[in-house]
Amino acid sequence: MRRGVILFAALLALGLLALWAGGGFTALRLWALAGAREVQQQMAGAVRGIATGAPGALAGLLAVCFAYGFFHAAGPGHGKMLIGSYGMARRVSLIRLAALALLSSLAQATVAVVLVYALMVGLGWARTQIEGVTVTVLAPVSHAMILGIGLWLVWRGVVNWRGQAHPHHDHHHSHGPDCGCGHSHGPTPEQVAQVSGWRDAAALVAGIALRPCSGALFLLVLSWQMGIAAAGVAGVYAMGFGTATVTVAVAASAYFLREGAFEGLSGGRLARAVPMIEIAVGLVVAIVSGGLLISAL
Amino acid sequence: MRAVALAIAISLPLPALAHPHVWIDTGVEVLFDAGGRAEALRITWVYDDFYSMVLVEERGLDADHDGNATEAETAALQGFDMNWDTEFSGDTYLLSGETPVPLGPPEDWTAKFEGGRLTSTHLRRIDPALPLEQPLRVQAYDPSFYTAYTIALPPTFAPALPQGCKAEVLAPDATAANEQLLAALAEYGADQDVEADFPAVGANFADELVVTCGAE
Repeated sequence: MRRGVILFAALLALGLLALWAGGGFTALRLWALAGAREVQQQMAGAVRGIATGAPGALAGLLAVCFAYGFFHAAGPGHGKMLIGSYGMARRVSLIRLAALALLSSLAQATVAVVLVYALMVGLGWARTQIEGVTVTVLAPVSHAMILGIGLWLVWRGVVNWRGQAHPHHDHHHSHGPDCGCGHSHGPTPEQVAQVSGWRDAAALVAGIALRPCSGALFLLVLSWQMGIAAAGVAGVYAMGFGTATVTVAVAASAYFLREGAFEGLSGGRLARAVPMIEIAVGLVVAIVSGGLLISAL
Repeated sequence: MRAVALAIAISLPLPALAHPHVWIDTGVEVLFDAGGRAEALRITWVYDDFYSMVLVEERGLDADHDGNATEAETAALQGFDMNWDTEFSGDTYLLSGETPVPLGPPEDWTAKFEGGRLTSTHLRRIDPALPLEQPLRVQAYDPSFYTAYTIALPPTFAPALPQGCKAEVLAPDATAANEQLLAALAEYGADQDVEADFPAVGANFADELVVTCGAE
């Protein structure tokens, strides 16, 4: 099992590096673009089918929406970076990481629904005004939250690292072996591996979900105008599930890569490696999102 | 280290984070004056099916959802995409060799909705008219990449392509463009506006019509 994980992680890492070095991400992006374009065409037919009461139209729309979410997620995006980086830097379980990925995709769909129904239907805004708000307000807030997560990872890494550098500072206060206060001298691998709390999860989901996809806004506006609002909302959640296939895959890759990298390390070396990775990944996230934030303001 | 390498690899495509939500098949017509100088461009935009539907339905047009506009609906559509912000360049860029050439504001526009797709055209004047001593290059792109333009329609010329000239549509070299994008971003300072300072980066991803005269 251990060997399997290491081998799998090594192959995955090599494959990704080869893909990157060979310009494969460009090929991937072009492929995703071509797919997104194709789906864009089918989307109109599917919506028209529902409006004109064609049989099987709802199933058709949901399938097209799922594909739409998948192809738009297969291109570059902030959700994958954040899930991948977080999964790399924090020792969270695969289930938890995948659940976070799914949850953030569905939360993103929810944000789109709330935005369109509160602003357009409730306050009578035009679609272009809603899109304006997502670009001028929500995108910077999302970048700022992601920047915060990056800085938080760096801070956690630094605290962990310093905790190891001075593991035996003045501990002359006396508590017996049975005091139960859980005081420890330097982090154990178990502590290093501790699963983070709900605050991480909330920040992560919000950072991803706050920036709704334009395609979801299009569909919601269109379906409202055409009197098929329920189908539009269902379609937007289908998009969310399509997006989640990609983010969950990224979560799984990050998990196996991290565990593979950690398998070869034991005890002290593991304890030293973890904060280093946290700091490095946190810095990358902070720099990229900081750049995006500045250019968005 | 592998973990860090992957994190970087995942993050790298991020600067090109935007991905398109609107696709436009573009057509370019070059209008020449009697002296064989380019005096205007007529640009045709054919919107993708989904965005066409969004634009038409949010205006309350095409009530029967059949993908075609009635005469009255067509009249209501005129100029639907011609209300340009001051900062909107029109997503059409003209160059003479390597030198950008300014284009006039859009005029003389048309619009129709047929077969589920919105088509609009508009004219951009070139003043003064541009002699074709250098290759004439027309690029179609959105610097923010919200809209993906493809010069999908065959180029046309009015009254005709001058003698001794040839025209070709070039697709972007994606790998080379990506490398240039990464190189440009590496030098890009936080206080710069990417869109204002690096139109050439967007141009690297653009389809381009090139008219060359007298060469070879």
